[in-house]
Amino acid sequence: MKKTGLMLMGLALILTMLTPSVLAWEGKITIWDAPRWRNEEGDQFHWIKSRIAKFEELHPGVEIELVEVPWAELGEKLNIAIAGRDWPDIAPVDISGGTVKLKHLEQGVIESLDSYFTEEELADFFPAALDAYSYNGHLYGIPTSMTVHSLMLNLDIFEERGVEPPENGRWTWDEFIEKMKKLTFDRDGDGEIDVYGFSTYILKGYYEAWPFLMMDGARPLSKDNQEYTFDSPEAISALEKLASLKFEYKVSPMEMGGADVGGTFQAFANPEQRTVAVEPWASWAIATLRNSEKYKTNFMVAEYPIGESGEPITIGGSGGFVVFRQRDKGKAEVVGEFAKFLSDTEQQYIFAVEYGTFPARKSAQEMDPFKDNPQMKRAAEMLKYAITVPRHPNWPQIDERIQAQLQLVLNGEKSAEEALKDAGRQVERFLK
Amino acid sequence: MVIKNGSLLKDIYKHKLDYFFILPKFILFIIFIALPVVWAFFIAFQEYGIFETIWVGLTNFRDVLTGDLFWIALWNTFRYTLVVVPSQVIIALILASLINPLNRKAQIFFRGAYYLPTVTSVVVISMIWRWMYNSKGLINYLLSLLNIDAVNWLGSSTWALPAIILMSILTPPGVGVILYLASMGSIPESLYEAARIDGAGPITSWFKITLPLVKPTTLYLAILGTIGSFQVFAQVLLLTDGGPGYATTTLVHLIYNSAFRDFEFGFASAQAIVLFGIVLFFSFIQVKFLSSDVEY
Repeated sequence: MKKTGLMLMGLALILTMLTPSVLAWEGKITIWDAPRWRNEEGDQFHWIKSRIAKFEELHPGVEIELVEVPWAELGEKLNIAIAGRDWPDIAPVDISGGTVKLKHLEQGVIESLDSYFTEEELADFFPAALDAYSYNGHLYGIPTSMTVHSLMLNLDIFEERGVEPPENGRWTWDEFIEKMKKLTFDRDGDGEIDVYGFSTYILKGYYEAWPFLMMDGARPLSKDNQEYTFDSPEAISALEKLASLKFEYKVSPMEMGGADVGGTFQAFANPEQRTVAVEPWASWAIATLRNSEKYKTNFMVAEYPIGESGEPITIGGSGGFVVFRQRDKGKAEVVGEFAKFLSDTEQQYIFAVEYGTFPARKSAQEMDPFKDNPQMKRAAEMLKYAITVPRHPNWPQIDERIQAQLQLVLNGEKSAEEALKDAGRQVERFLK
Repeated sequence: MVIKNGSLLKDIYKHKLDYFFILPKFILFIIFIALPVVWAFFIAFQEYGIFETIWVGLTNFRDVLTGDLFWIALWNTFRYTLVVVPSQVIIALILASLINPLNRKAQIFFRGAYYLPTVTSVVVISMIWRWMYNSKGLINYLLSLLNIDAVNWLGSSTWALPAIILMSILTPPGVGVILYLASMGSIPESLYEAARIDGAGPITSWFKITLPLVKPTTLYLAILGTIGSFQVFAQVLLLTDGGPGYATTTLVHLIYNSAFRDFEFGFASAQAIVLFGIVLFFSFIQVKFLSSDVEY
């Protein structure tokens, strides 16, 4: 009897040692998530709900509360939550964007996830994706996807005008101009231009137009982020080229360079409009143009035109989850585990197929998620030319000053040189 | 209810049931209005951080007043107010004067009609105007009938602010119309009869009787309008987001950006306090020049 008791105690001890520490914590986790792709019932949160159910099943005693937040409100709501120190445990945030500031990382609002991954696990992520979630040598989030900006071409308009799309989606600036001229035309013969070759918008925090500004080799800041470099001859020439689309070649509508994101997209994708042949968008648009009932379009993706730099430069980003500061170490482990659970290879593959993002994991990419999606396949090839916006703590202020000046160039009120030099003067105090 | 100094507690005790009924609203006011305002004053003197804040004295105020955007935003807001407030007050006065002589049923109809935009979301109104300002929208279409070239209303520094001003002016001032009608309705008919006997026509009566006697309402609307105009935000955010450049950046838009985009709560609070001072100053000026004792 004594022996049996000792054996049982020993067994219990061994079991306790083997049981993962995450099971030691029980309680509630709060996750904020934004709409993903719809299921048959029209639910855009079905993916996260199914993941929550599965995780709760695997971890009895852990309850996960989902807060559904529209993408457009996510940044503002998170900032308010952070200001009130009432943040969720986990949220889908791109730290290279403006939603969570680098200051928040410095202040410890976001948990470092260094200890959650082994070297081997990290090796499965693309370096660019990890880089997007790293700051000062620490990992502050788990990348689940990557995005890239590319040009969307309405092939119906190309066909209507008898214009050949660029071969394999690659074109030089001169070829681009020639095609844009042919795609700008008066459709109904009333003497007014109805369809334009190209359009885009300029708005703080949005970078659809920026690959044009970098086509000749310019970058907004120096590599060490200490100096403003967007007033270089390469930047000025590139901005002049972009402005020439509207003022010299007249292949862009009056609205080009304004702040109307929705209006710009509608002009391209709304079947009742379709008044622009080519627009730059991030890769989310590919899924919309392929799958959306309303915006389904006959389109292809192409690279940004090649300028003096010799490369089809574009802007890339990364999506993923961050874990907010945790007081309870046990809870922190469960939250970290949940974040990993949301970003495993299978989920990244599902995201790529259903949601139109590029996997951040090599193993998910190797599953060939785009075998039936030529547009995503082509856009994925552009990732190697993608650069990210500078990682500067004052980037929101710097970005705003630059974008405001870009608007003034694209509405014809300032020359490229004048605007970029004015921007330089204005951002100087934010670089110190 | 007039309360003499020192007798507030006695008065509360005496009218405890009355105070009981206003207590819920008062508590909400304290929690959601008074405390945040006091807190804003407090953090205006701090560099606000999540886990620690640093007392910086008047630094935020210095940065506000020496910053590149504050004066642009103030000038834009001032121009907006200077046009919108008098226009709205005058339009409300004219509309009320036209509605006032009508029969009761017609009055009810027009009151409702002019009040409707007041309960319509500014978001909806802004979206409609955005469509009208489009290069192929209604306004450019009307211009084309006159052989005038299309104007880039929201994309040009010259036209963006006037476009927002026009939208504000042409949104009927429902509250103003209602208040003026109430004010005109309380003017004794005997004054108009006396004026008629003395040979005054309708226009003379309007200038000599109506206009002076609705002066308190005019003052009230001018002050409310000025406060509202200095806080113009939603239409700017929706139509131009402050651009092109900073052509339509207004004070509240600037405060919003400082707080919720740049996360500079101390700086944003300092901007808000400066705005408070400006509004207070203009309200004081208006009271000084427009107030008068009216008895009838």
